[in-house]
Amino acid sequence: MLSMQDLSKTFTTDSVQTHALRDFTLHVNEGEFVAVTGPSGSGKTTFLNIAGLLESFNSGQYILDGHDVSHLTDSQRSKVRNEKIGFIFQNFNLIPDLNLYDNVDVPLRYRGFNGAERKRRIEEGLAQVGLSGRMKHLPSQLSGGQQQRVAIARALAGDPRFILADEPTGNLDSEMAQSVMQLLQAINQQGTTIVMVTHDPALAAQAGRNIFVQDGRVHEEASLC
Amino acid sequence: MNLSRLEIGPLWRALLRNKVGASLIAIQVAVTMAIVINSLAIVIQRDAMMQRDSGLDEDNTFYITSTGYANDFNAQVSVTDDLSRLREMPGIVNAIQINAIPISGGGWSMSLAKTPGDDVETTNTAVYMVDENALETLDLSLVAGREFTPQEIRWRQPSQPNWPSLTIITEALAKSMFDSANNALGQTVYIGDEEPMTIIGVVDQLQAPWVGWSNLEHSMLSPENMAFTSTRYLVRTQAGQRDRMMLEVEEMLSSSQSGRIIRDTTTLTETRDRSYQQHEAMITLLLTVISALLLITIAGIVGLASFSVQKRQQHIGTKRALGATQIDILRFFLLENMLISGVGIILGTLCTVGLNIALVQWFHVTPLAWYYIPAGALVLIIAGQVAVLAPAKNAASISPAMATRAI
Ligand SMILES: Nc1ncnc2c1ncn2[C@@H]1O[C@H](COP(=O)(O)OP(=O)(O)O)[C@@H](O)[C@H]1O
Ligand SMILES: [Mg+2]
Repeated sequence: MLSMQDLSKTFTTDSVQTHALRDFTLHVNEGEFVAVTGPSGSGKTTFLNIAGLLESFNSGQYILDGHDVSHLTDSQRSKVRNEKIGFIFQNFNLIPDLNLYDNVDVPLRYRGFNGAERKRRIEEGLAQVGLSGRMKHLPSQLSGGQQQRVAIARALAGDPRFILADEPTGNLDSEMAQSVMQLLQAINQQGTTIVMVTHDPALAAQAGRNIFVQDGRVHEEASLC
Repeated sequence: MNLSRLEIGPLWRALLRNKVGASLIAIQVAVTMAIVINSLAIVIQRDAMMQRDSGLDEDNTFYITSTGYANDFNAQVSVTDDLSRLREMPGIVNAIQINAIPISGGGWSMSLAKTPGDDVETTNTAVYMVDENALETLDLSLVAGREFTPQEIRWRQPSQPNWPSLTIITEALAKSMFDSANNALGQTVYIGDEEPMTIIGVVDQLQAPWVGWSNLEHSMLSPENMAFTSTRYLVRTQAGQRDRMMLEVEEMLSSSQSGRIIRDTTTLTETRDRSYQQHEAMITLLLTVISALLLITIAGIVGLASFSVQKRQQHIGTKRALGATQIDILRFFLLENMLISGVGIILGTLCTVGLNIALVQWFHVTPLAWYYIPAGALVLIIAGQVAVLAPAKNAASISPAMATRAI
């Protein structure tokens, strides 16, 4: 359960104020697959960053998994991100110096799992995305679609309650995009709540629920036809 | 703290994939370590050499040269007169005629043997020709035996080859020849192959004229005044009176007799500075090299770390997004530096030992004490950690939003 009420976010740079979010209100229920669309610069990434505790907000209320998260310290926010949220990024954001095994390992180490537990989760995660045989490979040795699968394995390895994905298919061709989408749907079916930003209406249509953001507001909530 | 948070394994594997920058720093650390430790050891050795005590009351001692030129110049009369006038001057503790000045660089040395003959084991020593006022003037104390009496002092004529029958030697010389001062007392030593001299006294410390000599502490006193036209007087003054007495003595000697010139009034402090000038210069040079190398290494570490933080902004943001705390990020960079320095130090230990072996072999430097290596390693680790702290703090302050915002 992820609940935002009248959230506002203003960026101030060189005396220019940008209202990235204005009175942003959205409730996402446990187990939903929500696709967020909207024009460029409308505030989608800002919303996702705030939802994922990557960024703070100026006013309003945000309740994540039953807890008001507006007053957490930086390290408490790190802990919440680590335990409850899996991130998938448009650029995959794999660490190029680390092989796939070590990449998936990153959040598990911050979680404090022991070596055996981490190994089990990494192997299981990479198997789930069909990359078991590539554990020693570097990200640069994989295609974009494969890299995004590793990123998904990394996001899932800690069993998060929420997956937040910012244009996860933005850098993939349509075939790869479709396969990533299928993977996300399968994950959602196992109970993980997913919020995905996309500019592809065809992909958005495959989500359980669509919201449209414009000028930092939830402008229109289109339900699946 | 949970060890898995330290990320040592992945960090190490990532370093191995990105060898160039890290290797350069590791090599820099290794070279710095080898040069800094060896230089520092030399500095400490040289400094210890410079701290060695000549035995004299250096701050209150000076010497002055008298050179007769007149045809009727009588050296024996002149020396007797000078010494009695000098010893009467208020402000002067005592004064002697002497053939050589300790630690000045120039003097006499002789070899002593325990048995007569030219095929026996000998020990080299500096020789000071002095009278019964030597102990007080040179600030020596007896460890054993007695000092010379006025009756025991003879006159040495120019180019007279033989030696008096008595001597006083330093404790170091006594130990080297007879194991102890008491054993040496009453023994006969043979100077210049066969002339016997009986040891009547042993004094605590009097250095030879040559500061680089391995037998620097070996000195003997020969009871004689010199009937030489050119001679030197060593004067010990009361505390704080040296500079005033130098002028007064110069004036007194210049006016007391004609037919000679008085010159080269020199303090023992000046003499020490001149004799150790090369050591001083070497110390300054090495300290400059040490500081420069440490600064360059620290700058290299700061540079590489800042560059890599800059380059890894999005990865750092991503790690923050995935759950790394600021402390995790800070620790990552400190640990990365520690691993690089660690490799540098392992390499550096080999280089340090290698360089030391070469220095010992070719430049006769004293071998390094083992503890210089761990101490040097510790200094370099700390320097590295301090150097990387600012870039690491910058890294820790990178917002997790950089995961999605970085270009
Ligand atoms: N760090 C920032 N500083 C200043 N302005 C920002 C920053 N991040 C985003 N913005 C501005 O906020 C608005 C919303 O941006 P964003 O959430 O990235 O939009 P979207 O993801 O929908 O393209 C844009 O006008 C953008 O320029
Ligand atoms: Mg965006």
